Amino acid sequence: MPNIKIFSGSSHPDLSQKIADRLGLELGKVVTKKFSNQETCVEIGESVRGEDVYIVQSGCGEINDNLMELLIMINACKIASASRVTAVIPCFPYARQDKKDKGFFDIPVDNLYAEPAVLKWIKENIPEWKNCIIVSPDAGGAKRVTSIADRLNVDFALIHKERKKANEVDLDDMADTCGTICHATPGHIQLISAGATKVYAILTHGIFSGPAISRINNACFEAVVVTNTIPQEEKMKHCPKIQVIDISMILAEAIRRTHNGESVSYLFSHVPL
Amino acid sequence: MNVAKSGYRVFSANSSVACTELAKKITERLGVELGKSVVFQESNRETRVDVKESVRGQTIFIIQTIPRDVNTAIMELLVMAYALKTSCAKNIIGVIPYFPYSKQCKMRKRGSIVCKLLASMLAKAGLTHIITMDLHQKEIQGFFSFPVDNLRASPFLIQYIQEEIPDYRNAIIVAKSPAAAKRAQSYAERLRLGLAVIHGEAQCSESDMADGRHSPPCVRNTTGHTGLELPSGKQQAPFPGIELPIMMAKEKPPITVVGDVGGRIAIIVDDIIDDVGDFVAAAEILKERGAYKIYIMATHGLLSADAPRLIEESAIDEVVVTNTVPHEVQKLQCPKIKTVDVSMILAEAIRRIHNGESMAYLFRNITVDD
Repeated sequence: MPNIKIFSGSSHPDLSQKIADRLGLELGKVVTKKFSNQETCVEIGESVRGEDVYIVQSGCGEINDNLMELLIMINACKIASASRVTAVIPCFPYARQDKKDKGFFDIPVDNLYAEPAVLKWIKENIPEWKNCIIVSPDAGGAKRVTSIADRLNVDFALIHKERKKANEVDLDDMADTCGTICHATPGHIQLISAGATKVYAILTHGIFSGPAISRINNACFEAVVVTNTIPQEEKMKHCPKIQVIDISMILAEAIRRTHNGESVSYLFSHVPL
Repeated sequence: MNVAKSGYRVFSANSSVACTELAKKITERLGVELGKSVVFQESNRETRVDVKESVRGQTIFIIQTIPRDVNTAIMELLVMAYALKTSCAKNIIGVIPYFPYSKQCKMRKRGSIVCKLLASMLAKAGLTHIITMDLHQKEIQGFFSFPVDNLRASPFLIQYIQEEIPDYRNAIIVAKSPAAAKRAQSYAERLRLGLAVIHGEAQCSESDMADGRHSPPCVRNTTGHTGLELPSGKQQAPFPGIELPIMMAKEKPPITVVGDVGGRIAIIVDDIIDDVGDFVAAAEILKERGAYKIYIMATHGLLSADAPRLIEESAIDEVVVTNTVPHEVQKLQCPKIKTVDVSMILAEAIRRIHNGESMAYLFRNITVDD
């Protein structure tokens, strides 16, 4: 593809490489380092004049450092006469302090959904998915849960409200300290004792800070499934219950479509190959 | 006619205790309480700021010192400024004694002028005025769309020299590189002392990297043409006959001291002391040339990496910095580091701005080059 360049920030180089591989491109050369006084320094290593630039940086780890790095990279590309600069931010930081909403930005925002990838994973990895129940750990997730339940044609539940026999699949947006998910553990124990055979937790962004990992290890989940918006290798070493859904193809396809000026809404309900 | 002024509040946007020391000193001098707010890092490293009192219609001063974790400190400042703006504060004035990213104020190859980016971000977050001290380049004031007061630490450092260095009249002010010569000269004039300049190979070639001349790099093909070239393989020469003059590589003489330091106290003057390699090399050469004592006066003591250890092992006798940047840890490691308190001038600036008085008194005796 002509006139397109993809750069990776230092937050999630693995995902950026996967995205670039899917698009058949090399990642652009960029040097990101810190001076001895901890100031971030970014130098773009190739010409971006007139190019359509995509910068992949996730809001994870040291969020403020990664955010600053992203801003500096965007600024550097603009000053170097890039024709258009798009930031690809799989996990958007500070989203829980204000609701992330299109109305907050003056520039175009494409908010993609992990839902199609999650549905695909459920169908491929949970043997008796037709008999499962989608559970929301709190009232706020009801909309998300019903959407998935409808597509799978199964029932749904809210914790503390209903108990039913069969597999339980828990869905949430962010697992941070796993407080919500694991507070529901007494609920899970109720689910197990009420006849649920297995409990899976499926989350889009696996932040897992603080005591999250030990809480998961002590809880009775069959598996905790997250997407790779945030690097998970380290955490998987400490917690064998974590499994990862790769969403690089969704992002790669979104990049390809926006670069070619095509519609992105296909991705809201389909997982590209 | 005295119009009843609404009050002012002073907040500190730092989350760590070491950084709030300066804010405490300033509020003590002003005789006010520090505003109630909570600034902390959540478990996922997001910054969270909670302002616990009403700020509607008030003038707010946010004091922010920049510790090692620069980006977090910037984010804390931005979040607090925005929180105050959306709570209808009338004016939000940032007191940022050491302004971060001030060394990245020039275009380097394909870099970003981070200082300008930071200025835009601060303006967008709601700041309406900034008080800072000894900006690395005075032209940074031009990046901002609102007033910037660039205070000077030199009166304090000069007072330290006069009071704490015995027989300072036998001293000579030294600039560690030609770029620092202007500042050194202004000190020398005020103290009525001589001036020396260190020049040579050991100086970092930051000035070479500062412009965009190296982009894109010239590819030499085998015919040995000079000037404008295309990558080999494409033999079109759209501009035959254009020959740009060859850029001669800069060659520096070995490190040398211009000026006589024999039998004198050498006082090296600079605005920021961060990586001390240059200072240590300068101290070596000054010792060789006969200086019997070596002092370093710097406004902002960043002292990164293993600076304390290098200073301890070097020929430097004392390093004097102000308390714009917290450096307690470095002081513990190296007793040669001394601190000068500048909270007085910051408190005075806050008072004058709030009362709408002139700041000219704070800038008397400051020369153009300082």
